[in-house]
Amino acid sequence: MSYGYAGKILRLNLSNRSVSSIDTAQYERWVGGHGLGSAIFWDLCPDKTISGFDPRNVITIMAGPMAGTLSPGSTRCEMQGIGPQGYPIEWFTRSNFGGRFAAQLKYAGWDGIVIEGRAEAPVWVNIANDQVTIEDAKGLWGLGTRKTQEEIWTRVTGGAYTRQKPAVLCIGQAGEHLSRIGTVMHDAGWAAGQGGFGGAWGAKNLKAIGVVGTGGVKVADPRALMAAWLWHKTNFQFNVDDPRHESPRANFSDYWDINRCPGNATITPIAEPCRPKGCQGCPVACSRRAASGLANEAHCFSTAWPFVNIFPPEAAESRMSTGEWSGSLLESLDISQQFVKDRSRVTDLANDYGLNIYDVFFGDVYLITLYAMGILGPGQTIHCDLPFDRWATSEFKEAYLKMIAYRAGIGDTLAEGLARAAERWGRFKDDTETGLLPYPHWGYSEHNNPRVEVDQEYATVLGERDSNDHSLNHPCHQIPRVAKVAGVEPIVSAERMVEILSQKVLPFQGDPFMFDNSEGPTGIYSASRAKTIAWLRRYSRFWKDSVGYCDFLWPNFIDPNAPDMLGYTPEGEPRFLNAVTGKGISFIDGMEIGRRIWNLDRAIWVLQGRHRDMEVFAPYVYSVPSPRPNSLPVYEDGEWKYSGNVGRTLDRARFEEWKTKYYELEGWDKSSGWPTRRTLEELGLAKVADELQSRGKLGV
Amino acid sequence: MSAAIKEGYLVSDRKKCSGCMSCMMACSLVHEGKIDLALSRIQIVQETWGRFPDDIALAICRQCVSPKCMEACPTEALHVHAANGNVSMVDETLCNSCMACRDACPYKPSRVVWHREKDVAVKCDLCINTPYWDQKGGPGGRQACVEICPMRCIKLVHEAPDEGTGYDVNLRNKHWGWLGFPTD
Repeated sequence: MSYGYAGKILRLNLSNRSVSSIDTAQYERWVGGHGLGSAIFWDLCPDKTISGFDPRNVITIMAGPMAGTLSPGSTRCEMQGIGPQGYPIEWFTRSNFGGRFAAQLKYAGWDGIVIEGRAEAPVWVNIANDQVTIEDAKGLWGLGTRKTQEEIWTRVTGGAYTRQKPAVLCIGQAGEHLSRIGTVMHDAGWAAGQGGFGGAWGAKNLKAIGVVGTGGVKVADPRALMAAWLWHKTNFQFNVDDPRHESPRANFSDYWDINRCPGNATITPIAEPCRPKGCQGCPVACSRRAASGLANEAHCFSTAWPFVNIFPPEAAESRMSTGEWSGSLLESLDISQQFVKDRSRVTDLANDYGLNIYDVFFGDVYLITLYAMGILGPGQTIHCDLPFDRWATSEFKEAYLKMIAYRAGIGDTLAEGLARAAERWGRFKDDTETGLLPYPHWGYSEHNNPRVEVDQEYATVLGERDSNDHSLNHPCHQIPRVAKVAGVEPIVSAERMVEILSQKVLPFQGDPFMFDNSEGPTGIYSASRAKTIAWLRRYSRFWKDSVGYCDFLWPNFIDPNAPDMLGYTPEGEPRFLNAVTGKGISFIDGMEIGRRIWNLDRAIWVLQGRHRDMEVFAPYVYSVPSPRPNSLPVYEDGEWKYSGNVGRTLDRARFEEWKTKYYELEGWDKSSGWPTRRTLEELGLAKVADELQSRGKLGV
Repeated sequence: MSAAIKEGYLVSDRKKCSGCMSCMMACSLVHEGKIDLALSRIQIVQETWGRFPDDIALAICRQCVSPKCMEACPTEALHVHAANGNVSMVDETLCNSCMACRDACPYKPSRVVWHREKDVAVKCDLCINTPYWDQKGGPGGRQACVEICPMRCIKLVHEAPDEGTGYDVNLRNKHWGWLGFPTD
């Protein structure tokens, strides 16, 4: 395992402050990242029904073989364990972050970290190559994530051998206060955001892990790796000097979804001098560093939330004035310097406290709605002292964030996550029937429209958290959506899109109806759609979550930077992996490993209590028509086209029938959704089958 | 000891750099056969919460016309040769690890790097000696950092830049500005 791997996994027991190691080779068949994490969790956490706050929770932080190497968008790091956010059950879950932590971990000589037990008092872990110490967190506990890192940088420097500062992973006040929506932050804007791992760290009294490494990563074929990068750059990277496909509008951040131009996964226009900034080894550089120094490295929802919900009073009417949500709509709002800085400070504060932006965003909207209904506010049924008359200001947002981080006032309830908060207020049942609370599954907010863009949502309800998988969102939804917003034709027709996709989704190639989002016989309830979800889960479990490829670059199906519009999936994935590791893993090999990992995760959830009867959406998904357009390809009236799909609901009975088709495809018991012995043994998981059988939870 | 005029220099645009460190990884890969930031002849130093453009510094050898590193070398390990376009390079067989060259470099961080495994000095050679890359380097060839950089913010030039600010150039054009980034 010498190429791409450090060879050892760091094992920490916080209860007795012991430091040991596991040979990575013991888990070689799981390859890296998520595969390693699930396999190690299976082995080291006998009782999988415990809470995420239990000291017996095993938290893993795993790099993949690509981390720290010259492979584009490949330095993701995977955190796993029982996640306190899941509702009503704290499912074993995952969260993934970028930056440079995984690279430094590998350079220090570690493929990952396993964290067990609970420290008696707050600690932080100092890793400098093979020197690992568990130290008192005096002077760190109580600080936000920025000051924590800056303090660690004064305590640990690279010394003579490196100019790089330690890469630090840490919690803020939210995690310290055991928030179920606490994040774990790295540098200014990279976050393990979902799952509540911040609270799980807080329960272990773990404040931070800092790692600096002065070693390297061996590469099996350096020439092949250089050639692969240059192939990727020439054919698929956005050429900043002479782009093959440029946005039709200037400073139009939405177009990032089409051509992967740098600095624009922020869903906001550029409003002050800045540079693009990304993770180590990433050619896309999806975030920014600004002249103000504010909102550095922040992106996606952490920048979108304040941008959407902080605006001057006179802009209130123009906000969200059309159907489809788009950052470009917000160009019409005032982006004067004061608002830019206000919004950026709110972004920074959320990251500094270490709070899950999704719950924060949806909670912000939920609170103002309940306030407008006269239910919540000063002296109301649900008492809340926030200044609602100044809701659209940074003053409100800052007070709101602080309450949650410190569990002050209503913040103590909101820190439980919005689903549990609504339950405490006695509103969860009603508000998920009407859709007032758009939380369709497992205590996580909507990511995409669960009635229409079912890929992420089906994967979520069959999984354990917002799947946050943009594999098909980028082509299927963003291509027609952004075209509409920009007032141009989509870069490919619906028919051409599904033709390309169906060629590339090995091993299920050849079925364009995998991408039919209609309600017809070949659409979202079909056997073809079962193949789509199976493809997504296998691909993500292996190529993204285990190898370490970033969701923003991988897979790549339709790429206007390419001369022929064809992206680099499925050639690119094994090309880079094998140049680094020399393992000779094909794309389809990887998909089969992904199937194994997905089934192991499934087995863990089954032990936690999973049954097909639980895999349903909140009632509103079945009864409340989707109000806004959601552009996607559909096959209707004998032709492919893009449709807005307005007014749809998910059909409960048809979804149940579809689940059966999916279980059949996966080789799971149709009545329970549990993996069968045959399926598990096929995947080399006979011991997992034995365990399920001993608990009376093996599928038949 | 004076040196002849070099036939190649690397200039860069620090406002264009995205801090991805692909150049550092490529440099160590082509020279050493592995990824090792500490062995990279180009160093990127950045501040997470820094203010653009001062959040990033690119430490690239300037191929000084009168290199202090070469003047300090007691063994002539650090040398130039016309056959290599007068690019200053280290002959590892002659290096005695005194690191006088590293200490003599007037720029911080020093553009000379200590190879901790071989215990010799290494420095940017414009990719003349790249045993793990099939491209010809030097002033008439290609450099890994230039080729790899996704932001295209490093460039090989053939005339000596001004000592002061000539090495930090503006490589941003109208397409950069179209994205919304500053072009000044």
